[in-house]
Amino acid sequence: MPDFLTAYSIQNWLESCPQGYLEQTQYGHAAGESEASIVLDSPKLRDQAIQSTVQLVVGERCALAASSGLINAAPDEGSKRFLATQTLDEARHVEVFTQRLLDLGVRKTELEPLIKEHANPHLVAFAEVLLEKIDKGDFVAGVVGQNIVLEGMAFTVFEMLYATNVEMNPKFAHTLSGTIADERRHVGFGENRIGSLIKEHPEKKAEIERMQKEMSFHMLATFADSFRESAPAIMEAQGILRGTNGTQAGASESRWQGRSLSTLAPEEMESLLADSVLKEFKIRLTRIGLDYQTPVAP
Amino acid sequence: MNDPLKQLSEDTPRQRFVLAETGFNEVPKKYRKFYRRWQGSGDTLALNEVLCPVCRVVIRSSREIRPGDRVYCMPCMSRLVVIRSATGHLEARVAY
Repeated sequence: MPDFLTAYSIQNWLESCPQGYLEQTQYGHAAGESEASIVLDSPKLRDQAIQSTVQLVVGERCALAASSGLINAAPDEGSKRFLATQTLDEARHVEVFTQRLLDLGVRKTELEPLIKEHANPHLVAFAEVLLEKIDKGDFVAGVVGQNIVLEGMAFTVFEMLYATNVEMNPKFAHTLSGTIADERRHVGFGENRIGSLIKEHPEKKAEIERMQKEMSFHMLATFADSFRESAPAIMEAQGILRGTNGTQAGASESRWQGRSLSTLAPEEMESLLADSVLKEFKIRLTRIGLDYQTPVAP
Repeated sequence: MNDPLKQLSEDTPRQRFVLAETGFNEVPKKYRKFYRRWQGSGDTLALNEVLCPVCRVVIRSSREIRPGDRVYCMPCMSRLVVIRSATGHLEARVAY
């Protein structure tokens, strides 16, 4: 077993995660924290929060199915143990984002129909591309799809959501900060494990690159749908952040990637997010010896 | 002819740094002072710091970091080698 895999121990995960940054949290945030009143009091912002949280639940359910499915396909004990910890991380993400839907006022009996109704079809297709590889027991393609493409996307999306919510909705920002910390380990495993495995399986490169191109297309289409549908709510939230409607005057500026999220138009935010994720894909794939494939524009 | 940069790197003793807690809580307690969160485009790295390219956490050392040093990013468990980029800045490259 390569010696770096010894770091992927349950003990290390326990000390870093449940006994570290998740200590004394409830559903990922501090006890007693609640959703910001500006979200709960505005039908437009509440609906947008529900819509976007449904996509997070769908994405995390895919990650849960993928990471648990990869355990039996893993070629070594260190990877199996790491993927066991990742499986619990992903199950926790499903739980905390599902709890957020309840906190936003969704009834338990409405949860599954709501998720089914609002799940973006392109996000579902994105998950299907990945889970097909995992069903075939293809560990190398599965880890690239899960820990580099899916987790790379989640890492960047969570960072942008964190920047958007850190002033406006601290409870959700705190939930996101724990998931971002988890994603660091997941992308690290993806790069480090595949960086060595891809050299042993150069014949798999073309197939994996096709998978990345297809997943990237569905990701971009999901972003396009989400920002188009959320545009009115985004503009209302920006108005609040800028203090122009008097609800939260003086709120400080939310910045991400050097840009002010309080002033960007929804289509500019979509473009910034898409560019950031694709740039990250390209850098990460190049580092592990794969050629990034530009997706077809949706 | 002696390379003045080489001379400097070999002869100049490395600066030492006292590491304080930074609020970083994503690794076991005894290692937390060796990391901090990257604050984005307005952030700058000190002489004892290098950015992990995998997870974008700043890795800190109690001594000045120089090209050729090997560092470990515990939050994402990546092993890294420090190099000097074309722009003259220190960068970490992943060692697979």
